[in-house]
Amino acid sequence: MIADILTGALRSGTSVMLASQGELVSERAGVINLGTEGAMLAGALGGFAVTVWTGNPWLGVLAGGFCGMLIAAIHAFLVLTCGANQLATGLTIMFFAIGLTSFFGREFVSQRIVGFNPVPIPLLSDIPFVGGILFNHDPLTYLSIALVPCLWYALFRKRLGVILRAAGEREEVLFASGINPKLVRYLAVLAGGCLAGVGGVQLSVAFTHSWVENMTQGRGVVAVALVIFASWKPARAMLGAYLFGAAQALQLTVQQMGWPISTFFLFMVPYLLTLAALLVVERRKQSVTPEALGKVLAGDTGG
Amino acid sequence: MKQQAAALPLQGASDIWRSRVRSAGVQAAVLLAPFVLYGLFLLANGVNPWTLYVSMIRSTFGDLYGLGEVLLKATPIILTGLAAALPAKAGLVNVGGEGQLAIGALFSTWFAVFYLDQMSAWVGIPLMLLAGALGGAVWAGITAALKVSGRLNETITSLLLNYVAAYTVSFFVHGLLKDPESFNWPFSPEISPALRLPILDGTRLHIGFAVAIAFAAVVWFVLAKTRVGFRIRVLGSNRLAAERAGFNINRTYVAVLLAGGVLAGIAGMIEIAGIEGRLRPETGADYGYLGFLAAMMAWNHPVRLIATGFLLGMISVAGNTLEIGSGLPSSSVHILMGLVLFFILGSRRQKEG
Repeated sequence: MIADILTGALRSGTSVMLASQGELVSERAGVINLGTEGAMLAGALGGFAVTVWTGNPWLGVLAGGFCGMLIAAIHAFLVLTCGANQLATGLTIMFFAIGLTSFFGREFVSQRIVGFNPVPIPLLSDIPFVGGILFNHDPLTYLSIALVPCLWYALFRKRLGVILRAAGEREEVLFASGINPKLVRYLAVLAGGCLAGVGGVQLSVAFTHSWVENMTQGRGVVAVALVIFASWKPARAMLGAYLFGAAQALQLTVQQMGWPISTFFLFMVPYLLTLAALLVVERRKQSVTPEALGKVLAGDTGG
Repeated sequence: MKQQAAALPLQGASDIWRSRVRSAGVQAAVLLAPFVLYGLFLLANGVNPWTLYVSMIRSTFGDLYGLGEVLLKATPIILTGLAAALPAKAGLVNVGGEGQLAIGALFSTWFAVFYLDQMSAWVGIPLMLLAGALGGAVWAGITAALKVSGRLNETITSLLLNYVAAYTVSFFVHGLLKDPESFNWPFSPEISPALRLPILDGTRLHIGFAVAIAFAAVVWFVLAKTRVGFRIRVLGSNRLAAERAGFNINRTYVAVLLAGGVLAGIAGMIEIAGIEGRLRPETGADYGYLGFLAAMMAWNHPVRLIATGFLLGMISVAGNTLEIGSGLPSSSVHILMGLVLFFILGSRRQKEG
């Protein structure tokens, strides 16, 4: 049973994990994007549609990433070029994407696809207990796990990461060294949208193998919250996402076991868990918040 | 804004007038452009936007029933819009109207079904209203407590709590509050007829619309004319100044969030007592978000909010027409709303400086 929950944690947490890594990149550059929810939805639909048309889930991943990027581009333009309020813009994008995807997604609702399926890694997946949990997943999940250390390395050990983080902390420094901070932020937001889109693809093409209207159910919002919970650290965001996934997997297990707990309470658990996690972490940190982001969260958005 | 203010005294009166006309022109263009874009979108999908817009206006102003339907939709949008606008004046982004409305509806139904069943309208309806307000305040109180004592950003917490609220309502209508005679359909028993709001003949319109207008006026008065309102506005426009002036910032935050919750909770009560008569899982769904959008469109001004709430009400009713008339899903109206907001958000900088 524990193995079931842990396996489920990875399977249903991966979409949130990818989105939260993307959001982390964007927030490190000083832009919070609640439109992540919208980017995930767009990615989920775009990836699903292309998989239906071509039968090739990898093309679906490309398309989903691209759709997520398009949605994030709206955010980047409004926030960075027009100086709009980041939180309000993100929310608007969320509604816009819900409308757009349910409009274009009508014909895909009852479609079925092969998509991504679990590929057990030879030998490793035979390890008792651990093998089943870690080494029996779809290819996207493996890739997403590999992404986290790569992202950490790029953020904290490479020049690229320094530039990105400087955009979120002290943009004057970037100016002084001849780099346009606005451009860095644009790229960060686009990269974030791309990852969120791929997260959406994981949800529709690898996890549920279907498209349903508004299928992300707040996962994008949770991803944004998780980044704050994770103090903007990739590994912790991954952990948080799997915690969310575990809470979702718990629902299935409890239903299967027939325990007398209302399903609606179980549906709430992931969101409550995210809130509780935020509360615990927020109490003992403030200094690690990227400076530009701190201003947004405190409501001091001068534009 | 600063530069403008410095430059203004040097200009002649006619220049000021001209710049006002121009900014009104920009505002009109900002409001029209999304309708044009959406029209193109409809055209690309084989629907004539002109007939849609005409039928939208005709069904709104053509007869009393149509107007009543729009006002019915506008009522909760205005109230949840106030729930977003009031905290926004203090610099907070409260998106919790959705959940606060749902919990307000839950509380008011609970009280109506279990305690107020035998009461006359004169006692029962105000008590039910109080119950709804209490429900909204409780839900907003969670966000406020997390904001003040946990330093959590209110946007994210209120958004997360919306999902929790929806599941809470589902839990109750599937369990403790389920109608025993409903054959397993998830809804509450019907509230007593005495508790229903009075209805205008020939429409479904109830007294709730007047309540919403009254609250908009109250919020406007408080913000514009009282000391509390002044403090809220100072806090919203310059937090540092408010701190230096010795205002109790946390208390103001809690107050505006709770007041917002009360307003959204009342919207939930009005939905129950005015239209639905019983609680369903999807009672009032989306109104919280629509209210937030209406508040954004009105630049958080309570009186303009009445107009934008009306406009969004029109668009929602048109969404139904769209679905029936041209086979487009009603969700495509979200696209129009998104477009409207993109233009408003994008143009705001020119306005503010």
